[in-house]
Amino acid sequence: MKKSLLFSLLTVPVILTACGTGGNEGGSSTTDSDQNEGSSGEAVTVDFFNQKPEITAQLEELAEMYSAQSDNNAEITITTIGSGEGSAGLQARFSSGDEPALMMLNGLPEIERYSDALIDVSEMDVADTVIDGLLEGGTIDGTQLGIPLNIEGFGWMYNKDIFEQAGIDPDSIESYDDFVSAVETLDSQKDKLGIEQVFGFSGGENYIANQFSANFTSPEFNHSILDAYNAEELTWEYGDQMKKYTDLINEYNVQPILTVDYSRSVEELFVNDQVAMVHQGVWIVPTLNEIDPDFAQEKLGILPVYGESDTEGRIPAGSPWYIGINGNHDDAVVEEAKSFIDWMYLSDEGQEMILGDLAFIPAQEGYDPADISDPVSRQLYEALLAGETAAMVHNQYPSGWFQQVLYPEFQSYLDGEQSWEAFEENTSQAFSEMR
Amino acid sequence: MKGKKKNLYYWAFIIPSLLAIFFVIVLPLILGIGTSLTNSDGYNAVFVGLSNYKNLLSDKQFLYSLRFTILFAVVAVVLINVIGLGLALLVTQKMGKVSVFFRTIFFMPNLIGGIILGFIWQFIFVRAFAGIANATGLSFFNAWLADTTTGFWGLVIVFLWQMSGYIMIIYISFLANIPSELIEAGQIDGANKWQAFWKIKFSMLAPAFTVSLFLTLANAFKIYDMNLALTNGAPYGSTEMIAMNIYNTAFFQYRQGYAQSKAIVFFLIVAVISLTQVFLTRRKEVDL
Repeated sequence: MKKSLLFSLLTVPVILTACGTGGNEGGSSTTDSDQNEGSSGEAVTVDFFNQKPEITAQLEELAEMYSAQSDNNAEITITTIGSGEGSAGLQARFSSGDEPALMMLNGLPEIERYSDALIDVSEMDVADTVIDGLLEGGTIDGTQLGIPLNIEGFGWMYNKDIFEQAGIDPDSIESYDDFVSAVETLDSQKDKLGIEQVFGFSGGENYIANQFSANFTSPEFNHSILDAYNAEELTWEYGDQMKKYTDLINEYNVQPILTVDYSRSVEELFVNDQVAMVHQGVWIVPTLNEIDPDFAQEKLGILPVYGESDTEGRIPAGSPWYIGINGNHDDAVVEEAKSFIDWMYLSDEGQEMILGDLAFIPAQEGYDPADISDPVSRQLYEALLAGETAAMVHNQYPSGWFQQVLYPEFQSYLDGEQSWEAFEENTSQAFSEMR
Repeated sequence: MKGKKKNLYYWAFIIPSLLAIFFVIVLPLILGIGTSLTNSDGYNAVFVGLSNYKNLLSDKQFLYSLRFTILFAVVAVVLINVIGLGLALLVTQKMGKVSVFFRTIFFMPNLIGGIILGFIWQFIFVRAFAGIANATGLSFFNAWLADTTTGFWGLVIVFLWQMSGYIMIIYISFLANIPSELIEAGQIDGANKWQAFWKIKFSMLAPAFTVSLFLTLANAFKIYDMNLALTNGAPYGSTEMIAMNIYNTAFFQYRQGYAQSKAIVFFLIVAVISLTQVFLTRRKEVDL
């Protein structure tokens, strides 16, 4: 009796140890179990790692629609980690061996990190339809590893109503000086317009600082994603323009600027007509639609940033997200993953979802601009087809540079803690070091 | 024969915990020391010797975070223990049901996770304080968390809010264990309340100080969640505590080897400080 008690006590740690070693081999064991599932004809599960929390619900709906029409009994599961933690989350998934089959990747540095796992997607049907020039953002050493998810663009999102009431014609803004005088006009009529300040710039979000910087680094990198990715240094050739803008924002922004976060800036100030402009992108459209269904249709406009010179304004646009397919999984899973992506972009239901609930600007050619529901997205799609946009070079900066260097240094300048020269010097030095 | 059997039982009970500790703490620590000698990015690693540790000495942000964390720990440990002991003395007064009610209230913030507390207080500091500033014109309430000083005190206040109740519970249990004869004997000898507190209760509380100081010190050094939710290092990385600095190095810059060397240094610092503290306060303890 006593012996058996002793025995059972001793077996517990042994079992625990066994579990421990099982976990250590996570990578291979995941694949094994997937293989078993695939070959036995049971449901194939494809896990999609999503880094855009705002589209989780729509992706889940897409996944269900796909499962419903598929005869393979396939199931797509969506895992979402976003708001700046996505890449760390993805890294953790890979380190632990629990690799997703499909993943959203942010720019070439991230695609390169996982390039050993990713498969060549150039043979897929969807690849042929992608807008020219977008594929290079997903290509490492000549191999195309990512499908652009959608097109996003950003700039000064402004409230047309407020501009109109202040007597400003947005179309007449054709240079930096025009922009400044518009800002001054708005500022002088703050009380009449009922706005708190002209700008609701989020000085408390690192990605906003990152995106804002792209206006001024894109011309330095010849508006090319590849040039930015290969750049060994950042000289702030157009830093003076950025300084001018930064000073202008800081003067006419809701203060303290460093504590203005995304939700305050967009969901509170901008959508409620409390500020005239925010530096944001088209991804705020679904949020705006939720709060005020007419806002995006009737009030939303976008103005470029004059980053290159006082007269040359461009809106940075491109595909910040690329979908990669993990080749470390069993063939059945990889095939299912490919077929999901093809279905998502090429089937009628998928395309309807892309333009409708997802409110994407499609990264594929062949859509009628008139089908794109909100005017800003339409404007961007047309500008991109015409090649009049700046590049999303901010996704090609060295890993961690914008969170650890650009953002704190930028905040430090905004707060008057350091000079612009120091900002340029510190960020530029760290850029070379981290590259 | 009997002794041998006893010995067996002893090990049978202790081995599960030992194995758990080995796999969860000791093994990662050893592997971590190995990683800290490489330039690992999470996948590929090349042995680089001690160069990570050398670089640490010239890493301004790391040294800043270390200083900031130490300052935070000192302020927080002192205040938490003062407040915790104060609360404990208050709620051990003979007030019947009321004192139970207050014990619960003071302990409650500890039941809320650091992330949630951080977000709640971020709202209070940024929005509610701004509202107070607008309504009253008091500039004291303006622009909280927008500069380093208010960021620091913001962190301290939230940490106090979270930990004081917990430390209070520890003090209560030790206060309750002080034999009343001792205090009565003191009173007969003519000690007033003040003297009774300092000369009798305070010395009898020495073991409580050992535990409380250890808990608060170790926790203050290791804070991450609250730091993330409240300030996330802003403004300009000036409220980035050491744990966050390590995490960011590992998961934003993907310099896992370098981050690991920071973690090892951090571990040594916390271990040395905590053990010294335990050693020093242990000496003050009296056995009855």
